[in-house]
Amino acid sequence: MTAVTMRGVTKRYGDFTALDAVSLELRENTIHGLLGRNGAGKTTIMQILTGQGFETAGQVEVFGAHPYENARVLNRVCFIREGQRYPDSFRVVDALNAAALLFPNWDAGFAASLVEEFRLRVKQRIKKLSRGQLSAVGVIIGLASRAPLTFFDEPYLGLDAVARQLFYDRLLADYAEHPRTVVLSTHLIDEVSDLIEHVVLIDKGRVLIDEDADVLRGRAVTVSGPTAAVKAFAEGYTELHREELGGFLRVTLQGAEPAPELRSEGLEFEPVSLQQLVVRTTQTAQLDDRKVGVR
Amino acid sequence: MSTAVLDAPVGNRPLQVMRLHVVNPPLQLLMPWAVLLLSFVVNLLVFSLVPDSPDDARVSGGLLTIYIFTLVAHLVTMTQLFPFALSLSVTRRHFYAGSVAFVVLQSMLQGLLLTVLAAIERASDGWGLQMHFFDLPFLQSGDWFTRWLILTVPFLFFSFVSMAAGTIFKRFGQFGLWTVGLVGLVVGGAAAVLVTWLGAWGAIGRFFVDTPPLMLFAGYPAILAVLAAGVGWLFLRRATP
Repeated sequence: MTAVTMRGVTKRYGDFTALDAVSLELRENTIHGLLGRNGAGKTTIMQILTGQGFETAGQVEVFGAHPYENARVLNRVCFIREGQRYPDSFRVVDALNAAALLFPNWDAGFAASLVEEFRLRVKQRIKKLSRGQLSAVGVIIGLASRAPLTFFDEPYLGLDAVARQLFYDRLLADYAEHPRTVVLSTHLIDEVSDLIEHVVLIDKGRVLIDEDADVLRGRAVTVSGPTAAVKAFAEGYTELHREELGGFLRVTLQGAEPAPELRSEGLEFEPVSLQQLVVRTTQTAQLDDRKVGVR
Repeated sequence: MSTAVLDAPVGNRPLQVMRLHVVNPPLQLLMPWAVLLLSFVVNLLVFSLVPDSPDDARVSGGLLTIYIFTLVAHLVTMTQLFPFALSLSVTRRHFYAGSVAFVVLQSMLQGLLLTVLAAIERASDGWGLQMHFFDLPFLQSGDWFTRWLILTVPFLFFSFVSMAAGTIFKRFGQFGLWTVGLVGLVVGGAAAVLVTWLGAWGAIGRFFVDTPPLMLFAGYPAILAVLAAGVGWLFLRRATP
């Protein structure tokens, strides 16, 4: 089942194009990584999918209907924004009570245990919290809401490494018990690469990758060795990245498979991490842009 | 465990929004009354110290504080509670319906409380000091129901006007609010010039004196409150958090 469908969705702010004909599908009960650089259009996509922002053109479907002002759809959605603002008068406990009031699947016990693990004091005014504690409030609401479609928009800002790991662990454990569709927007790709099952990479408002993480990992390989041997192997593949030092060459190739039998020629094969793949793909896309510009 | 999280019943969204307004009761509900009470006590003290002079009526303007509080509170409703509610998956329609219902209920109850206090003030000869704090001379009119209307409708007026202003801010940003403010200033200034030119200030003064309090404090404000509520909804539909 598909939870989210976008077809040719474009968003313009004046003469700036934030989303350029974005088409994607998000499967139900899957953890999706929405990856991309700052300003790539990640938040814009999530705003449109939650009916908070408006697309300029294109088709949007969440659980089979357009989300704008659609209570039936929105009741099943939770979207805590990066830098979510809370009313100034609210304490942590007020925000949690509000969430308990409005999310039908809210698990108060789970929320309470998360409050303890993230070391929040519920009576504290949210306005007075540090950046990390503020993020923790959003993470707790996002997890305990158990919404069938939950968006985490860069949920880790200011969180220390321990707290981030805590978030990943709790997300995975709770997801295993209560499967749901999770969209995790992040640029700490290495940290979440074990978590995400499906990757959507966007850059400058366009989808560069829309693929299952496993497929993606097997899609590229880094090969290094003597220049001539590497060049011979690389023949015919799309080169994502190249580093050259003396007579030594190291290239990341798209679509290539490791060939262990070539070890004798001095070739070394390494899997490409999701982060590297994303960085290389984004860089290659930018290179292509520039070439188009020159022409 | 094979299926997705089941859809639990959602409940009455507008009612939940009404409860969202009082999720932090001390600040949202009690603070304005605490300040009003403080103002009342200060007035009591002052008037009990000032020697009695039969010519000067002992009238206080302290009652205005609670209306100003309402004004500020419902600006915050749109600038802070609305974005938060939207992130908790409330639709704009349900948020507005719940907020309007909350404002109406809040106004009615606060008006009732003020009416009771005004009645006590009247019965106790101004708390034994001939003081007018709740039972203001120019508001005294008709039966208790009329007095309740006169004390209630201004709450509605201030609430909806400030919600409309907050909505314009959310929809068009600071620029929108400044534009509305400037246009208001220019229109008001032009009207003042026109009135002066026509020599009509006397007529305007007479309007305020001659119009019965019920019309002045309840009738006209009620019309404006409904208009403001409509304007608020119009802009909220395309407002982003």
